[in-house]
Amino acid sequence: MKAWPLLFLIPTALFAQDDLWDDNDWADEEEGTLWTGFLEAGLGTRFSEDPLVANRSTLEDTRWRIESEWQPSRYTVGLKIDAGYDGVENEWFADIRDLSVGFTAGENTDVSIGRQVQTWGTGDLLFLNDLFPKDFQSFFSGRDDEYLKAPGNAIRITHFSPGVNVDFVWTPEFEHDIYLTGERFSFFSPVAGGNVAPRFTALEPKSSFNNGEFALRLFRTIESSEYALYAYRGFFKQPGALTPTLQPTFAPMSAFGASLRKPAGPGLFNAEMSYYDSRDDRSGTNPLVPNSQLRLLAGFEWEARTNFTVGLQYYLEWTLDYDELLANSPNFEFEPDERRHLITNRLTWRAGMDKYTTSLFTFYSPSDSDFYLRPQFAYRHSDQWSLVVGGNLFGGDSDQTFFNQLQDASNAYLRFRYSY
Amino acid sequence: MKHRFKLVLAVAALVSASAQGEPLTNADEIVRQANLAAYYGGADGRSEVRMIISDAQDRQQRRQFTVLRRDIEDGGDQQFLVVFSQPSDVRGTVFLVDKHIDQDDDRWLYLPGLDLVKRISAGDKRTSFVGAHYFYEDVSGRRPTDDTHVITDTTDEHYVLTHVPVDSSTAEFSEYVTWIDRRSFLPMKIEYTNAAGKLYRRVEVLTVEEFDGYPTVTASRVSDLLTGGRTDMQFRYIKYDVGFPESVFTERSLRNPPRDWLERPAN
Repeated sequence: MKAWPLLFLIPTALFAQDDLWDDNDWADEEEGTLWTGFLEAGLGTRFSEDPLVANRSTLEDTRWRIESEWQPSRYTVGLKIDAGYDGVENEWFADIRDLSVGFTAGENTDVSIGRQVQTWGTGDLLFLNDLFPKDFQSFFSGRDDEYLKAPGNAIRITHFSPGVNVDFVWTPEFEHDIYLTGERFSFFSPVAGGNVAPRFTALEPKSSFNNGEFALRLFRTIESSEYALYAYRGFFKQPGALTPTLQPTFAPMSAFGASLRKPAGPGLFNAEMSYYDSRDDRSGTNPLVPNSQLRLLAGFEWEARTNFTVGLQYYLEWTLDYDELLANSPNFEFEPDERRHLITNRLTWRAGMDKYTTSLFTFYSPSDSDFYLRPQFAYRHSDQWSLVVGGNLFGGDSDQTFFNQLQDASNAYLRFRYSY
Repeated sequence: MKHRFKLVLAVAALVSASAQGEPLTNADEIVRQANLAAYYGGADGRSEVRMIISDAQDRQQRRQFTVLRRDIEDGGDQQFLVVFSQPSDVRGTVFLVDKHIDQDDDRWLYLPGLDLVKRISAGDKRTSFVGAHYFYEDVSGRRPTDDTHVITDTTDEHYVLTHVPVDSSTAEFSEYVTWIDRRSFLPMKIEYTNAAGKLYRRVEVLTVEEFDGYPTVTASRVSDLLTGGRTDMQFRYIKYDVGFPESVFTERSLRNPPRDWLERPAN
């Protein structure tokens, strides 16, 4: 909260409307360096106390985004920095979301080196072959969707050819997800048999070439249909494994997958699969290491009415060697189901010339009997001011399921943004 | 493509010669020519666009973007790449359209914050384009075969046509009337009437200038006559027959807008 006065530092000149038809405005693009960004204040609070987390607030952000881009010679240098104060964690922060150099090597190859956000795959808020880092703390606490994707230090090389395009991302140092540590949200621990908030730090793999991440995508569009094949070598992105001394860590993992996206009837159809090969536990007998998995996704999205879009997805997480898992598990009653089914639904309604966007994203798992609702209302008052109100609501039947473990994290949030 | 372009020029010359003489009497032919004049100038083209969106209280928003276009066939399939530069919250957003005549268009949107290539389902194209009173369909053009056309008047300057949608469920209007310039074949004014018989939307061309031999709209306005809102549009740095390769209109350009081809022409 202490940093809110920051907002009053915005020079009042910024609020003055430009002469919108000033002919010099056309020159913007070619002259000098353009600095853009926003100032944002966000507040979120849980509906009920979490006995394990002292702070009832889930979001107390004051952030200043600074963006720019330079084009020295044939290079493009991008910059995106977030700086501000996080009142929940009581700390100032400065996060670099993008600091990368892009250039074209030869005629058909694009290279991007540095800190950057990367995305691929066809799922909507479900990720199978997209094994780039995600920030679930931000996602659950009501920050902008943009923050679900965490940046990573990587080299991306994309080669385009008439046959097939090749996308290769090398992340020399493993970039894990921003997982739940217990600082902001408590989570279920099978060892404790209930929720815990340990504020732990997982053991990261030692830095070496072999412990880097290698992600490959082959993709091509033929007659409106998008096809892709994926391969990945790295680690599970969540600390789901334990060391022999029972410290949480990341198990080695390779993934192989495929996806398709194409128009079908009135909308778009997508399908994706991925096989997660748990390299340290191929037999599924080691209780300290996650088993291999098969993940499947099918989705359909269409505009049901003017300005009203509906998206449906079915997703399956199939844990392989399940008998071995149960036979060796010290607390098998808390192991996830062999097949975790998930259905998602996104409803989006835009009104008033896109000034008002009302949406509801629902995750529902019939096998876990739990759900996660993300209602949101966004109002874009002007090119400068916007407001978002929303919620993250978790519920279900049993304590250990994926969404219901976050029951006490259910929250509502409000964000104001001034863009410049 | 070059040959076709010359052919079109020759046809255009013939047509403008005839404009001074006998007026055309075939409505479909007029619409065909108007479609070519409004959306198919040259084999390809580029323009920078800025829009001022005003609501009834005169609160204004602004959009600025560059459009690159490439025709696969005159009057047929086309590709569009739209790269946004303003305002700051949409800067870096890129919109790619594969416009098809015999099937739904393919549309992709690149959201730089998430590095996300989002595909947009076909859906209703008569919805607001980035918050403006312009529709998606106004950007890439409505298929002539979606309406039936009747000449209702021929003045010294204009062909006046009335158009009725073949399938009334595809449009929010029950009919619209266009005033098509007899010389340039550019639609100079379009007025839309709803099912209640009320005039509710007007598109007007404010200025036309010639670039590379093609009469081109450089300022226009869309008015929402029910709410009192409007969008003013200006076009600058226009050039035809730039020679865009096909590769400009691919996923590559979504993540990496093609700098060389986005550069302003020297004129």
